[in-house]
Amino acid sequence: MITSKFNMNLIQLKALLLKEYREAFRDKRALMVALGLAILAPIGIMLMSKIMIEKLVDEPPVYVKFVGAEHAPKLISHFADKNLFNFSDVPEDERSTWEKRNIAIEIPADYAADMAEGKPIKLHLQADFTDKAVQPPVRRINNAVREFSMSIGYKRLLLRGVDIRLLNPVKLIEQDTAKPDATFMLISMMLGVYLMLAAFMSGLSVAIDSSAGERERNVLEMLLCQPVSTLKIVLAKLISASTVSVIGVLLILVLTSISMSFVDLTKIGATFNLDFSTAIVLLLLLLPICFFATACQLFVAFQTKSFKEAQSTVGMLIGIPAFIPFVVSMMDDRPDWVNWLPISGQSMIIEKIFKGADVDWLAVFATSSVTIAITAALVLGLAKKLKSEKVVMALS
Amino acid sequence: MIEVNNLHKSFIDKKDKKNSVKALDGLSFTAKDGEITGILGPNGAGKTTCLRTLYGLLSADEGFATIDGISVTESPLEARSKLGIFPDKFGLYERLTAYEQIDYFASLHGMTGKSKKQAIEQVIQDLELGELAHRKTVGFSQGQRMKVTLAQALVHQPQNFVLDEPTRGLDVMSTRILRNHLAKFKAKGHCILFSSHVMQEVAALCDRVIIVANGKLAAQGTPQELCELAGEKNLEEAFVKLIGSDEGVAA
Repeated sequence: MITSKFNMNLIQLKALLLKEYREAFRDKRALMVALGLAILAPIGIMLMSKIMIEKLVDEPPVYVKFVGAEHAPKLISHFADKNLFNFSDVPEDERSTWEKRNIAIEIPADYAADMAEGKPIKLHLQADFTDKAVQPPVRRINNAVREFSMSIGYKRLLLRGVDIRLLNPVKLIEQDTAKPDATFMLISMMLGVYLMLAAFMSGLSVAIDSSAGERERNVLEMLLCQPVSTLKIVLAKLISASTVSVIGVLLILVLTSISMSFVDLTKIGATFNLDFSTAIVLLLLLLPICFFATACQLFVAFQTKSFKEAQSTVGMLIGIPAFIPFVVSMMDDRPDWVNWLPISGQSMIIEKIFKGADVDWLAVFATSSVTIAITAALVLGLAKKLKSEKVVMALS
Repeated sequence: MIEVNNLHKSFIDKKDKKNSVKALDGLSFTAKDGEITGILGPNGAGKTTCLRTLYGLLSADEGFATIDGISVTESPLEARSKLGIFPDKFGLYERLTAYEQIDYFASLHGMTGKSKKQAIEQVIQDLELGELAHRKTVGFSQGQRMKVTLAQALVHQPQNFVLDEPTRGLDVMSTRILRNHLAKFKAKGHCILFSSHVMQEVAALCDRVIIVANGKLAAQGTPQELCELAGEKNLEEAFVKLIGSDEGVAA
């Protein structure tokens, strides 16, 4: 008898789930919209980082008065590659600025001959080194000349069969322990918020459709007349909507790690490492959030009077994941309970992960447990509410 | 067997007490196995409220309802498993095919494997749904929707059927199919309770008729008895007379 009851539960749950999945995944348009957010996010993040990097490492053209440019065409073209141009090419509107900065390089007439013989060549750079506006161009010219000179030097050694690595017996690898660059912080924080949003938003349409939508389509009443416990009904709806939101989170993680590999963050001295293990930790953190979000949405949607009301009310819930991480990151003295609550707890852990700190597993466990406990309470509460005629019939 | 005993149900408007509705006011009746029992009543008489209480969707303020002796409030799941329901408001899952919907409800009643498949095939054949079975139900006509809903309600061959105006919107052919179906189940000893507005149908099909007015039992008996009670020749005249007069309540 016990096994048959267990079997019965299994059959019913399977049927409920199968039906919820069928409905969720056959509504292609709603699904596309829900997951579109997930697809858009990584692209947005990638574009934003690209623009930021360009701004930070931007090398605007510099105009230098070359004397004897005709003696060293290769050097001049190397300069041009580095955005360092001859003063004669300066556009009209910038002429006066560069005239004032007055940076000049003199190339000796015997440049070519000395180069061929391997003699040291002296280039003369003239500028007002105290002028702040001149300093970055001078630094760039310096770098450009050193690079050019090194590349020729390396080639000479290579031709003589010398391993050029011998020239760098000691190499300094810099590891910045200072707080990551503010711009990069913004990117990772955005990703954190976006992941949270995806957990909340991807399953949203499915959650509303399967609750308030079903009631409006008059199929809920029929279902509640069947010999199934309301707990099973709620569980099936929870699982199906959560699945969609988990897919949304997964999509963001996968697409972000792919798209960010196209962005060279090292240029601004930042590293973004969304490797497999980090992604797994993030997913683990966000899984309870997906279920929590769906449970909240179902709970609210079932208690609204109509589909339309459900849409607007549940829509307001989205403010929570967008708002809380910002507030938490602004707080200086966080009370302990903030660490435990859903969303705020996870968002703090995510922030730490992006800062490169080790994962605090105890915190992960604590906040996940609290999240799961609240989710379970919501599910049980909703299952109870579905037995009441007020919720079923949408009575006031 | 379905038994309804002294049901009371009020819908109270909290803001304006005057808007409160007393939907059921001590309704009692019994629908026996092997009989088709019809509930007749004017609009707003409390038929649907009574049936909803029977499904366990509404809880009565007073009184009780039992299905095969099982109280619908105490063990609703067990009571519902003995019930096939064709509700007042019904919708279909428009993203599923007719077959999938029937399958869904069959599974909810714990059917699996071959026996489930056979039962589904049987009910599809009985209700002549064959051509529609594997089409998504979006765009089905009213009659086709009714048939799918009927199939859902009948697939697990419940001991008791409750049908809330099952023939509205059905064409003659479909009504006949349904009638034959109900007669067959009656012969097998099932208990069938259905509400209707169509007098001829009630007269032709029902063994017993329960007339409900203002949430109370106005009269009950065979169609013939009711006509005699009211002193009228046809059921429609009898019905009008019985709900109009308080004498009927005494019967």
